[in-house]
Amino acid sequence: MTEPNLIRNFSIIAHIDHGKSTLADRILELTHTIEDRDMVEQVLDSMDIERERGITIKAQAVRVLYTADDGETYTLNLIDTPGHVDFTYEVSRSLQACEGALLVVDATQGVEAQTVANALMAMNAHLEIIPVINKVDLPSADPDRVRHEIEEALAIPAEEAVLASAKTGEGVRESLEAIVRLVPPPRGDADAPLKALIFDSYFDAYRGVVALIRVVDGSLTRGVKVRMMATGAVAEVEEVGVRRPVLLPVDELGVGEVGYLITGLKDPALVKVGDTVTLARHGATAPLPGYRDVKPMVYTGLFPIDGDQYPELRDALDKLRLNDPAVIYEPESSHALGFGFRCGFLGLLHMEIVKERLEREFGLELLATAPSVEYRVTAMSGEVVTVHSPQDMPDAGIVEKIEEPYLKVTVLVPPEFVGAIMELTDLHRASFVDMQYLSATTVEMHYRMPLSELIMDFFDQLKSRTRGYASLDYEFQGYEPSDLVKLDVLLAGKVVDALSFIVHKDKAQARGKVLVEKLRKIIPRQMFEVPIQAAIGGRIIARETVKAVRKDVLAKCYGGDISRKRKLLEKQKEGKKRMKQVGAVEVPQEAFMAILKVDD
Amino acid sequence: MVVSAAAEPPLAVALYVHVPFCRSKCAYCDFYSLAGHEQLQPAFVDAALFEAGHWSHYDLLDDVPSLYVGGGTPTALGGELPRLVAGLLETACLRSDAEITVETNPETTDAALVDALVAAGVGRFSLGVQSFDDAVLRVLGRPHDARRAADAARLLAASGASLSLDLICGAPGQTEASWRGTLHRAVETGASHLSVYPLSVEGGTPLEATVAAGSVAAPDPDVAAEMMLTAESVLRDAGLYRYEVANYARPGNESRHNLVYWQGGAYLGIGPHAASMLPFRALRDVASSECWALGQLAEDGQPARARFSRDVQLLDYLKGPLASPGPFELLSAAQTAREDVMLGLRLVRGVTHAAVEAAGLPEVLRRLEGEGLVESEDGRWRTTERGWLLGNRVFGAVWNG
Repeated sequence: MTEPNLIRNFSIIAHIDHGKSTLADRILELTHTIEDRDMVEQVLDSMDIERERGITIKAQAVRVLYTADDGETYTLNLIDTPGHVDFTYEVSRSLQACEGALLVVDATQGVEAQTVANALMAMNAHLEIIPVINKVDLPSADPDRVRHEIEEALAIPAEEAVLASAKTGEGVRESLEAIVRLVPPPRGDADAPLKALIFDSYFDAYRGVVALIRVVDGSLTRGVKVRMMATGAVAEVEEVGVRRPVLLPVDELGVGEVGYLITGLKDPALVKVGDTVTLARHGATAPLPGYRDVKPMVYTGLFPIDGDQYPELRDALDKLRLNDPAVIYEPESSHALGFGFRCGFLGLLHMEIVKERLEREFGLELLATAPSVEYRVTAMSGEVVTVHSPQDMPDAGIVEKIEEPYLKVTVLVPPEFVGAIMELTDLHRASFVDMQYLSATTVEMHYRMPLSELIMDFFDQLKSRTRGYASLDYEFQGYEPSDLVKLDVLLAGKVVDALSFIVHKDKAQARGKVLVEKLRKIIPRQMFEVPIQAAIGGRIIARETVKAVRKDVLAKCYGGDISRKRKLLEKQKEGKKRMKQVGAVEVPQEAFMAILKVDD
Repeated sequence: MVVSAAAEPPLAVALYVHVPFCRSKCAYCDFYSLAGHEQLQPAFVDAALFEAGHWSHYDLLDDVPSLYVGGGTPTALGGELPRLVAGLLETACLRSDAEITVETNPETTDAALVDALVAAGVGRFSLGVQSFDDAVLRVLGRPHDARRAADAARLLAASGASLSLDLICGAPGQTEASWRGTLHRAVETGASHLSVYPLSVEGGTPLEATVAAGSVAAPDPDVAAEMMLTAESVLRDAGLYRYEVANYARPGNESRHNLVYWQGGAYLGIGPHAASMLPFRALRDVASSECWALGQLAEDGQPARARFSRDVQLLDYLKGPLASPGPFELLSAAQTAREDVMLGLRLVRGVTHAAVEAAGLPEVLRRLEGEGLVESEDGRWRTTERGWLLGNRVFGAVWNG
């Protein structure tokens, strides 16, 4: 147990790619928490996929020991937070476990959307924010401008911002000194009943669920019985300890300390992020504030390309869920694609990552249908149904109203792109709320927009129309009624349920037309003609045709051509394997995502 | 020194020579050849003869049923070409009735050269015409016009040797009328053999670049399909019958050399960019004497067939014409059987039921029959009219099993 006055709990927050993971690595090195030779770049991003994409998905916590300029050795708990807007809830819980935050801003890019979003979250959590201007080693670094932006955009004093280069190591020590000096030590009541916040968890095949916790009041020792206040689960403490980052058991964790808890519980549903751990007997009466049951926002159908892999997909989802309880799934069947699962994710990135993990870690070949949001449908009878899949949408005849999730969207962009943003948002049913200049070079624009429009390629379009300068943040804002219809797609005269999608009435015609045109280009020519039709309620609104293939032959096949020709035929066969047979038509995977790109 | 086993007859091996020279490069062609560089021609002929001698030393040229001199443009060698042909006839043991073919282009076909070649034993010329429509010839980047092509054809027809013409359909801007015109003029030359190819855009060619840039339309496969059907009917009316996917001939004038490729016969290719196929046992001894690394079969068992193809720059070939002719590809007995069925189905005569059974393919053939792509007649399987145009479906099903 450590004296609270010598503890500092802090997080590093930043916009993506501004260098927070590199800074975390330097801190670990400087404090000799990890010896140089064991240093794998960006240690805390332990998943391959995280490393490849340069983002953090799972929060991690590490205890480092730092001997400051004043001679004292402080216990610094570094809590690394997820860096993407899909994971806002996790970020907020991790911040709740801290008293301070290093706000890292790239000296060349300046303040961006998530800089603002994360800073606001840190302020709401009443954290002491220490600006760190990173990548000052780069030739285009402009610390003065960035200091200015921080003060203007966030009203955070920045004359004493630490100038750093996580790459070279400059400013790392100064950052730690600033933490010791400016971040308040944790306060709590050692005599009160135990209250510990679970700010993250992961699953270990041998030990069960490992919860990362911050002790607020009381203390946690091995052997006591504890209760999770939101889920109601009761268990005995098998082990408590700190992460260095390897797990190091201790006898007791006291007020202000950050560490891990192992109870032997194996069901992640029982150990939830944001929950409060207290004693089973004579425990606390009120939980810590802020617990929320995380809701998925985006749904997609995942189907194995080879129908025989359905059991493997089910097992894979079961296993994956242990470490990622935010994913929800239920069996779904499609006439076109067979048996699969309708899965819910926190956002598009979450969805992409999960699909990639399923394919990579479990060797599955999956087909994903276009993502859809959760609709709330009120029937004439008054009954309210939630719909996750376009094929479950009830017939227009019995529907009173359909409500869809809306977002508050914030876009940060240089002034010269304001026009481009307005054009883009116009295409996506977004309504302008307001706009302000954060600085001479950054405009902040606010919109209200349906989530279903955001998932239609909005982010990529945003980046390409602003040459990458724009950044985006969004927040769920509630459900609104919309004039929505279901658009069906027919191939060779048969409705392909997996291609159906929900669209606003005003956009149905245009999108339907572009979609069938796209499909005509995507679907390869077959031995017969394939009509492609878009229909609403049985009424055809657009049509294209894929002509039958007439010529598919390599006419020249002399001595030197034979090997090459065989390889070509083998390649053709491989190409076919990636297609899905939908009735008599061979359909490539891209067809199921074609709807996402109709606004190109 | 390899001692020939007197009891066993020598392996029949068709001989091909790749001459990597052209006067100029055509827009669509991706074969290896150099324009100009005439000063390297004598050295090339020396190297090719040296390589032929090498194979002969291993008794692989003891029974040569056909010699085919292609490229590039063999007649670009000018006076060196008769020397090449004479040298090959001396080194290799050609059968008395061997078919000897030389490829040529209109702009390098001159009377004296033709006479010299015929005197040396050449009995067959294959003239690259492609089209008798000047507009089409321009799009293809051919160095001659229709009149020159007709003159060359006339000259060759009068030489006493037999004549074959190469034609291209489906070129950008080529109309059905232009194509019919070309077909009729081709028949009028008195050629007894015609090859008809739909234009394909190959990587790295000037045509690929112009199509990508949009200045030339990409060949339309549906138009090409129509033209292939037209060719079949026009030529049939003129007495030239299709005997292979792309080849037509008056009965008895089929290319014996090319038939070797489609009937699983052995062949050797000489030159910097030439392909060969030998039964594995024929290659094995040579390879071990020469220390060529043949590699391994992907699966268990002994390899039955070897395919290899040299792919080097001319200068490297001149420095070392006896260097390994690989890379080598080994096929198992099962793969060889399937390959033979695949190649055999390119021929109008098709393959025997027995060959199909030996390759384990009866079910595949029946499935193709159900799709109207092959048919069974008189104990043989053959590709149908519909099957010719969709040949890859037939060949793919057979090879992939």
